[in-house]
Amino acid sequence: MANIMNSLYNMRILDDLARQETVIHKLHSLMKLLTTVSYLTVVVSFGRYEIGGLLPFLIYPVMVFTLAELPVKPILLRILIVSPFIIGIGILNPFFDQQGYLLGERVISRGWITFGSILLKSGLTVTAALLLIATTGMDRLAGALRMMKIPRIFVLQLLLTYRYISVLMEEVARILRAYSLRAPNQKGVHRSAWGSLAGQLILRTFDRAQRIYEAMCLRGFAGEYNTGGFKEIRAWDLSYFIGWALFFAVARMYNIPMLIGSLITGVIK
Amino acid sequence: MSHHKLEVKDLHYSYPDDHKAVKGMSFCIYHGESVGIIGANGAGKSTLLMLLMGVIFPSQGEVCVGDVHVTKKTLPMIRKSLGMVFQDPDDQLFMNTVYDDVAFGPRNYKLDEKEVEKRVLNALELVGILHLKDRAPFKLSGGEKRAAAIASVLSMHPDILVMDEPTAALDPKSRRKVMKLLTSFNHTKIITSHDLDMIFEMCDRTIVIKNGEIAADGVTSEILVNAELMDACGLEIPLSLQNCPVCRTKKV
Repeated sequence: MANIMNSLYNMRILDDLARQETVIHKLHSLMKLLTTVSYLTVVVSFGRYEIGGLLPFLIYPVMVFTLAELPVKPILLRILIVSPFIIGIGILNPFFDQQGYLLGERVISRGWITFGSILLKSGLTVTAALLLIATTGMDRLAGALRMMKIPRIFVLQLLLTYRYISVLMEEVARILRAYSLRAPNQKGVHRSAWGSLAGQLILRTFDRAQRIYEAMCLRGFAGEYNTGGFKEIRAWDLSYFIGWALFFAVARMYNIPMLIGSLITGVIK
Repeated sequence: MSHHKLEVKDLHYSYPDDHKAVKGMSFCIYHGESVGIIGANGAGKSTLLMLLMGVIFPSQGEVCVGDVHVTKKTLPMIRKSLGMVFQDPDDQLFMNTVYDDVAFGPRNYKLDEKEVEKRVLNALELVGILHLKDRAPFKLSGGEKRAAAIASVLSMHPDILVMDEPTAALDPKSRRKVMKLLTSFNHTKIITSHDLDMIFEMCDRTIVIKNGEIAADGVTSEILVNAELMDACGLEIPLSLQNCPVCRTKKV
């Protein structure tokens, strides 16, 4: 149960990080969103066997981590949370795709290459998404989405889901606390109580959500989630996006590690 | 200043399960009054507040704020002049920072961001938590949360403040602070509470509710000392007016 409360506190860490005032944090949220979207598009566009070409894309997260002064550990931990799904998707590749592939002097199955590329791609994309939230914050991100003319119903859905997760988790924590105090010798929740606990949870969450919604309506909420005025886009914000977009385009078109490699071997020869 | 008047005429409300929560209530609250609404659990206090705020609508009768009837159409206007502080501040505070929470109302009324900032800082200063403006609401203490919830309503510049149990779950010192704060406001105040000592100190007028009906409506100092009435309504006279527990001296 302590774990749930901890994760509740941890969940908000991205919001806390987003309140810093570094070069990256001060950038316009729309430009950061566009940069991330172009990064994701380019990374996903690589073929199954192209691991080498992906390597230059490590520069982007490394740069953002450094410039935004973000702690690496909490963000890496969040990537680990999704890793079981990614491994689940990729782990069968080595068995199905057994064609040999020459790596230096060793022959390995091509399945391992695709597995590695899935791992790398998902690692990069999840990191980029987390970095976007940790440097922008959910509210400003929603503002950026609205600026991109994403329908407000979707943006609202996103924001409210994000808000209600904590409501749900608080209720879970309370129910589990009440349960564990009266069932001291049990590990976890006995299956006979699963049904009623889940039922309780959903009813309580409904109630709570209803009260929060009423409180919002009483303060003039009419379907639009206003997160304050938008900053103007400065030349520096625009150049941040253009700079990265150019880099992504170049790194997509030319295999930079290969070029550097051939350059060095050329010099040696 | 008739627009601060709040009038309730022959109000009836039944829940979908046919439970009659409010049965024919009528009263009028004038500008600048502090009115306490008291009653046992389930007497209909919270339902009455919800009816006043237009969260639910009466099956019969009407609520008027100033000269405007509370209907779906007039809600935006009504809610501008009526500010409600919830019993549980956690229901009211849901944004990332205290600042954003207090700004939520003004921003919904499409105020200029400069005006929003002015109002937010003003409200936070009024309740004495300006230094907490960048903190996450869920990390505040009970008293601080209550203050933030009050600020989030004050920033909308309401004419009438409606408060559901403003001193519930507060330690004695925080309770005193909140009471002092509320006394310092010139708004018309409607307060429901089981904290009868607080009602005794803060409200000039008290409405006692019993089983969905008004059992008494009058001057607080007369109603709260009426032990018979209080007992019949499932209440007691305020602790501060009861006999001294040590020497048994009679106070009333």
